[in-house]
Amino acid sequence: MRSATAEPANTGNPVMRVLRKIRLPLDDPFAVVGLLIYAVFFLVAIFADQLATHDPLEILFDKDYQLAADLRPLEDGFVLGTTSLGRDIYSQLIYGSRSALLIGLTAAFMVAVIGTVVGLLSGYFGGWIDILLMRAADIAFGIPFLPFVIVLAAFLEPSIWNVVLAMALILWRDTGRVIRSQVLTLRTRAYIDAARVSGSSDLKIVFRHIAPNILPLSFLYGSIAIGWAILTEAAISFLGFGDPETISWGYMLQDAYASQALSQGGYYWFVPPGICIVLVVVAGFFISRGYEEILFPKLKE
Amino acid sequence: MSDDILRVEGLKISYAVGTSKVRAVDDATFSIPSGSIVGLVGESGCGKTTVARGLTRIMAKSASFDGGEVFFDGKNLLSLSEPDMNELRWRDIAFIPQSAMNSLDPVYTIEKQINEVLIQRGGYNKTDARARAEELFEMVGIEKQRLGDYPHQFSGGMRQRVAIALALALNPKLVIADEPVTALDVIVQRQILDTLKSLQDKLGISVILVTHDISVVAYVCDRIVVMYAGRVVESGDTTTVLTAPYHPYTMGLYNAFPDLQSSEGLLTPIEGHPPDLSNPPDGCRFAPRCPFAEDRCRTSDIPLIDVGGGHFAACLRSSEADALREQAAKPETWAEMA
Amino acid sequence: MLWAVATILFLMFRLMPSNPLAAYIDPTFTVEQQAALMAKFGLDRPLWEQYFIYLWNLLQGELGDSFFYRQPVGTRVLELLPNTLILTFSSLIIAYTFGIIVGAWLAWKRDTFAERAAIPLVLTTRALPEFWLGMLLLALFSFTLGWFPAGGTRSPGSEYASYFALYTSRDFLSHLVLPAMTLAIYSQGLPLLLMRSNMLEVMNEDFVTMARIKGLSSWTVVVRHAARNALLPVMTSFAIAVGYQIQGNVVVETVFSWPGLGRELVNAVSASDYPLAQGAFLMIAVVVVLMNLLADLLYTLLDPRISHA
Repeated sequence: MRSATAEPANTGNPVMRVLRKIRLPLDDPFAVVGLLIYAVFFLVAIFADQLATHDPLEILFDKDYQLAADLRPLEDGFVLGTTSLGRDIYSQLIYGSRSALLIGLTAAFMVAVIGTVVGLLSGYFGGWIDILLMRAADIAFGIPFLPFVIVLAAFLEPSIWNVVLAMALILWRDTGRVIRSQVLTLRTRAYIDAARVSGSSDLKIVFRHIAPNILPLSFLYGSIAIGWAILTEAAISFLGFGDPETISWGYMLQDAYASQALSQGGYYWFVPPGICIVLVVVAGFFISRGYEEILFPKLKE
Repeated sequence: MSDDILRVEGLKISYAVGTSKVRAVDDATFSIPSGSIVGLVGESGCGKTTVARGLTRIMAKSASFDGGEVFFDGKNLLSLSEPDMNELRWRDIAFIPQSAMNSLDPVYTIEKQINEVLIQRGGYNKTDARARAEELFEMVGIEKQRLGDYPHQFSGGMRQRVAIALALALNPKLVIADEPVTALDVIVQRQILDTLKSLQDKLGISVILVTHDISVVAYVCDRIVVMYAGRVVESGDTTTVLTAPYHPYTMGLYNAFPDLQSSEGLLTPIEGHPPDLSNPPDGCRFAPRCPFAEDRCRTSDIPLIDVGGGHFAACLRSSEADALREQAAKPETWAEMA
Repeated sequence: MLWAVATILFLMFRLMPSNPLAAYIDPTFTVEQQAALMAKFGLDRPLWEQYFIYLWNLLQGELGDSFFYRQPVGTRVLELLPNTLILTFSSLIIAYTFGIIVGAWLAWKRDTFAERAAIPLVLTTRALPEFWLGMLLLALFSFTLGWFPAGGTRSPGSEYASYFALYTSRDFLSHLVLPAMTLAIYSQGLPLLLMRSNMLEVMNEDFVTMARIKGLSSWTVVVRHAARNALLPVMTSFAIAVGYQIQGNVVVETVFSWPGLGRELVNAVSASDYPLAQGAFLMIAVVVVLMNLLADLLYTLLDPRISHA
């Protein structure tokens, strides 16, 4: 397979050009599995209202008006049982996919955008912009990631957006560095020189010639960030710094942990959310590996 | 001939490429007389390196033997068990690689790498090993103080000397040198070849020198084996073969190389490319590039025949060699093929 | 570098919307009492002045007093550091030993069924939320099977003469097993995958081929030459992994009630104990930065191409 950065992409309209650059890694069976997992979770998230049997936060009662708490799976028609507060685990699981995907995708988007812009500016213009931005990246590497997110999430209002923001503030560093070095090599290519000599402005060169060629890299790092973001959000929610209004898998696990589900053998409560997290994150890994093989074909050897 | 240290007969080696097979060495036959330096020469991709590696039986995973025999010191190497073959490696058959830089482990000192061979394969103890290592360094002309240095601390020529010292460590009977001087500049090339030649004389070992450079063969080799597209096309005494070649490929090859000692005269390249080995042409494989090829060259198999005095050539027109040689000396003859 | 982190930390803690003394001040305090407290903690001065006082104190190793424990943060943090380091190092040593051996073995077994099945499995362990893995192990081995204690570092009521006696006691070690295993299972993927890909690359190097042509034993070829070279970047990654793991410890320490820096940070943040949270954060940052430095140093030491240039 050809290196994604081998040729300039300057034909066709911009949208098509971008789409052609972001090839889905369909040759790799694992990447296909990853995409399928995503597809399933997307459908679940979209049709959550139809799929859920109960309101995930509603406290439920059984026929005898007793609190429907700590029910085992399939007992009284609750597919996965209920929590200690009488909430339906299955419905929480379904709604959890919404926040997971929302967090994963927005964080990945922000990481990819910030990292790409930083990498482009740093690599293309060099000089003090480069020094400044790369020093900032060094500092971001020195800040302990999870503690930083915890502190920020705890001090700002507990909402998933603040968690996403805190993650993006740190995670852009890897993307930024990689994109920068890619831009540095692209900048020396003949067609960039040609564009410069023929009088194209910097802005035009960056967006027309360089940006399309680094898009797959941005995507790769974005797809890695999805998994990170979901894992981090789960950890934050588990530690109790999450948004109490939003049902997420991390929140479910925190609820289970705090309600002594572990000592009472409530596997039906804390196993499913964990499996969902693993599935989504591992799907992200598979997809990013597929991208890696497109981008760095020598890994296949 | 019983005084041959090595006899290769009808050797066939192929590589698996995807689902198909590419026969890189097809029916190669030659022999190495004891105590001589034999040059194995040909263009890149002609199978010479594959032959060299095949003799050690350490080949790429995709490579396999498809036939033929290799007699070394009375034993058929291809039918030896792997442990028996391994006993032979380095003790009897040593190897000098093309790039000593990549062939020396970067994380160990040279002394450690020589010791490894001396102790693990040669049964030396530590003190004897040190003495032997110093002796080896002296033989190849490096100060013994440098034994404790790492590979990256040596220059290219020095590293090649180290590689020779390593190869000679266990007094092998046969040394296979795979393009030992290709990566070096001409002056250093000569120094290394001089060292190799004098050590070979002194120790009475046999050497196979694999090279694409016919001037290297002319400079040090007693005998020459010319390969083309996986086959041996000509072999014999170096002086005889180079002054009176019988195969047009050898004639062309000689024209195409500068002399190691002088750079006079015009170089005439052989036009075209070697054939695709996954689908080789019938008959003589050189025919498509040969200015003297006739129709019969493209159909029948061409045997390697004795043209006199241990000189073999695989050409149907070998009886007209004298006339062909005259024409081959003219650049126009080759230019017409372009 | 640490200065930059300390500055960001300062800004984070001082620019927060809520009053940093909120947790400290009793609603019954009078305005004067509150002002006195503000003065005591230096919070009535201008921001830049506070900043220089903060930096000056840091340079002297002075981290302030914890609101909650009413004792110096420095003492508290240093008390907890060994627990975190023991947990981190024991888990990483297990993870690296396992990862390096299995990674090398998988490279050796390339293109076999075992190798093909192992890679997605390893990727899956990288996708496990650490705290969830901890919960599973806790539920299974502690609550259901009762093999190991559920949390903390020692059984209630046990006393030890010295730290050494504590850290080598059976009791301490049995408390260590589950959290260390949790972290080890999560962390083995990195050295494993790194070792595997390095091995695959190194196995193609000429010097490995030459070692085989020399007739050296397979052990020498694979271990002394291939693995030794493939190990270089893996060892460097160890130092980085320590820095990384220390951050990740936060959740696992919480699950297993392991009294370390991470759990302390979480508790301090929950209790709005700012000086303590700041101290724990800073301590973690120090370890991260030191480990990044150590990684560079290790690489220089282990690779003669750099150390003997």
